[in-house]
Amino acid sequence: MNDPREARLARVERMVAAGRRAADPGNDFGREVRAALVATSGLSPEGVELALSQHLETDPTPEHLDALLASSGTAPRCHLVLAANVCTAALRALAVATATAPVVFVRPSRRDPALATLLTRALGADPAFASVGGTVTLVDAITAAPGDELHLHGSDATVRELTSASPPGVVVRGHGTGLGVALVGAGDALDDAAMAVARDVIPFDQRGCLSPRAVLTEGDSERALAFARALHGALADLSARVPRGPIDAATAAEIAAYRATVEAVGDLWGGRDHVIGLDPTPRALLVPPAARVVHVVPVASAERAAALLGPLASYLTTVGSSDSGGITRAVRALAPRARHARLGEMQRPPLDGPVDLRLR
Amino acid sequence: VLPAADSDALHARVRAFIRASDAPHRTAPEPFDALALDIARFQAAHVPAFARLVRARGVDLLAARSAAAIPAVPADVFRLTRLAAHSPEADVALFRTSGTTQGARGEHPLRTTKTYALGALSWGARLLWPDGPQLGAIVLTPTRAAQPDSSLGFMLDHFARTLDGPSAFHVHLDATDATREAHLDLDGIAHATARARESARPAIVLATSFALVHLLEQRGARDLRLPPGSRVMQTGGFKGRSREVAPDELRGLLVDAFAVPPAHVVGEYGMTELGSQLYEGTLAAALAGRPAPPHGVYLAPPWLRVSAVDPVSLEPVAPGEVGIARFVDLANVDSVVAVQTADRIRVTPDGVELLGRLPGAPPRGCSIAADEMLGHA
Repeated sequence: MNDPREARLARVERMVAAGRRAADPGNDFGREVRAALVATSGLSPEGVELALSQHLETDPTPEHLDALLASSGTAPRCHLVLAANVCTAALRALAVATATAPVVFVRPSRRDPALATLLTRALGADPAFASVGGTVTLVDAITAAPGDELHLHGSDATVRELTSASPPGVVVRGHGTGLGVALVGAGDALDDAAMAVARDVIPFDQRGCLSPRAVLTEGDSERALAFARALHGALADLSARVPRGPIDAATAAEIAAYRATVEAVGDLWGGRDHVIGLDPTPRALLVPPAARVVHVVPVASAERAAALLGPLASYLTTVGSSDSGGITRAVRALAPRARHARLGEMQRPPLDGPVDLRLR
Repeated sequence: VLPAADSDALHARVRAFIRASDAPHRTAPEPFDALALDIARFQAAHVPAFARLVRARGVDLLAARSAAAIPAVPADVFRLTRLAAHSPEADVALFRTSGTTQGARGEHPLRTTKTYALGALSWGARLLWPDGPQLGAIVLTPTRAAQPDSSLGFMLDHFARTLDGPSAFHVHLDATDATREAHLDLDGIAHATARARESARPAIVLATSFALVHLLEQRGARDLRLPPGSRVMQTGGFKGRSREVAPDELRGLLVDAFAVPPAHVVGEYGMTELGSQLYEGTLAAALAGRPAPPHGVYLAPPWLRVSAVDPVSLEPVAPGEVGIARFVDLANVDSVVAVQTADRIRVTPDGVELLGRLPGAPPRGCSIAADEMLGHA
């Protein structure tokens, strides 16, 4: 199909421009987006503001856009199924979809349709987007045809279900479930690392596969203990400025189960809006619920880190670390397709394509 | 006093409690709560993880008068740390849970199996063969020798050796296969059922649900009918090992295949982390001429107390309300006497209704739910 690079780039740039307006609290659109996300995202108003002002990808470099175009396919139509996890994720997903095809159909998350709906409306009203052949339409159901691309975001079960339901000839790009982990190297200053990890946990209340759910600290259990204490303080500080949104009963139950488990195996610190658990002698890695709950374990060696993360390797979407020591190298080897970011930058991936780089 | 001596003394008290429960007058030699608390005190002194939990909860076990005060250890902890009052060298058995994608399997170490075996046989006799042990055993699991870390295998091995009739295990693990894939011996099962028919000696089929589904799907034209008085014990979920079949549907298929009355299909609930088991009371009621209680209601032995607790506060819910299952199991002398699960239950005067696992938090798109990583291995 003939879809010139310039047209694809122009559509993505119009998408980013719409995102820029959404990020701006000073215009009507930005205010409307904020109000809608407060109602649907499950984040606190401060959490919504943080997400829009700090974590919406509105300033891509030309190199990042080149990478986004290069990583995208081309098709006459692109169908996009979105999930409710990270309330700003619709921007990136739409950018990739508009890079793929001039005609995009979007099925927003039923639980959190806000940003996808508003961005779609904004693009529909953008003559510059239309002038390069772009159309984006909200749909309730996906009807992909051979030759189309289908971009799926959601749980593995959703991705499997929709993939099997799509007709032959449809190119499916599924982005299923995953999680992030952070690595604190032997040379990292613990207070700095703790604050950086806290900055990775707070946005979106730890939802999404970019957020670290577990932290592996290189060294002995005393160092892990010191890190956990520092992280407790850092999360308390940041949570005072950006409170966690309300949690549902099921999440509360998962937190209660996590607390009881960690109380038996190690140490626990609980704040109003966060929980830190430390397992000083981990036999396996416990994955806590995604609600600003962080599990900390010491690892004495690269082999131990690989052993703990091995069973989760296929789920690793993001690895945060600020050094290139043995543990970082071992985890990179274990999950070569995971995104790698510096601590504190895990929630700020460049707009260079999908967040999830794993192949499905 | 050495922990082993304390442990031995507690085991002796628990076995006396179990034996007394079997006696005609069923008078316990001591109150359940007193024994449970003594076990908890012993464990707080010798099981580091339990001691940590007690400290974290601020529980004064010395002052406690009710087993409800004992903090329950989440079942997941069996996967994360060793829960035992004794050293690994003193293990006579190490039961392991089935795997999960999160890595390590749960482990339940035992320094004696006498109490476990006594309890399993005692309650099995009450609910599975209250009319006597004149039964053959058709066991759809590997032998104990082939799977020494299976608590179910241990129990069924004891059942098979206790019952009077011929017994055989009909699941074979391929020793040459690195995955140790299990093979169901369909012809052996058919032969065992034929032998039971010919001798008119009733038999009990002891099996996991998924093995039964495989049997039913692969049996072909084989005749599996059993003579009158026969029965089926089924346990466990499917864990992705076979097609999932609803309990009512599976029961109906078993009734047809084995030619047994519906009341003679008995569900068992057990877990590696517990030393005791629960059963549906349908068979015992039917054999006693009582109206059969509904399937899905399980009976706990007197040495196992089951309560429903709120999943957030972990406090008991009102009688008859749904909560998650907390077990105080006197048979868990050397590990942890109180175990917390995520299984939803309702406790009524009739028994314990099992309502499935507590659903996890709703999936949040790409963020993996803890539930999603469980039970896939």
